Amino acid sequence: MTESLKALIEACRQGQADYQDLVDRVPYARFLGIELRVQGEELTFILPKNPENIGNPTLPALHGGAVAGFMEQAAIIFILLEMGEPKVPKTIDFTIDYLRAGLFRDTYAECRITRLGRRIANVHISAWQKRREEPITIARAHFLLSEENN
Amino acid sequence: MTDSKIPYTRMDVCNRSLETVKHSRNLGMEVLSAEEEGVRVRLPWREDLVGNPDTGVLHGGAIFAMMDQAGGMANSCRLYPNFEITPTIDFRVDHLHAPTPGKAVVCHASCYRLTDHVTFVRLTTWEEGKEDGEPVATGLATYTRMKIDKNGRVVS
Repeated sequence: MTESLKALIEACRQGQADYQDLVDRVPYARFLGIELRVQGEELTFILPKNPENIGNPTLPALHGGAVAGFMEQAAIIFILLEMGEPKVPKTIDFTIDYLRAGLFRDTYAECRITRLGRRIANVHISAWQKRREEPITIARAHFLLSEENN
Repeated sequence: MTDSKIPYTRMDVCNRSLETVKHSRNLGMEVLSAEEEGVRVRLPWREDLVGNPDTGVLHGGAIFAMMDQAGGMANSCRLYPNFEITPTIDFRVDHLHAPTPGKAVVCHASCYRLTDHVTFVRLTTWEEGKEDGEPVATGLATYTRMKIDKNGRVVS
């Protein structure tokens, strides 16, 4: 199964498969409706505005949990593409700051790996709607990459 | 004011908030109990909430979304019988171990400190039926208090 994931990533790099397939193999990512935009080797993750992801009907605003799940999934795919031997990273912890209300509109996320170790990845994720400089949420997360004792 | 004079219970408040929050309803969340000291909320295992298709384990994001919602309800239970909106300031979740595929999870959320402007919430999530054992996740969060009037408008 891991082999098929590795083959898919290789096919994406060769242009023989769509990076979106990496998102779509994850049921919860489809549940949220996550999309991926690739420019060269740069990835932007998109959570298109979707009434199913609304948390506050009066504003209306997106559910904070949907935004968090979107950011966590963005980080997982981002790390996968950085790994030599791709294996789905396991979330150790996820910490999010809500800075502004996530309005009912498209949301974008980008990831930055602070450190990619053999076992642990430290990642920073930022999500915005209007402008990249005005994030609605920022998150810091740690992922377990390998459980092998080496 | 005694509880018997209030025409709605904490359970009513929590169920009403679930009814209005579409995304939480979509997750299949269910309120099991709602007391002053905290709420108990259930998230089913469902195929469309899986994070790793090779293992069938629930996505951390689905567990997070359920816990964030549970924290909001813990605030409502503490603030009862008053209504306030409590947007999340900060939320941390630790995933201690993966829940078994096919098993629902249950979260207990408790607002352990209430100040004029901020609420502090602790959360623990177990696999359903293993509530006496090791949690699958723990959480710690802060929320800000926004008082609302009868028309649902924010007053402070």
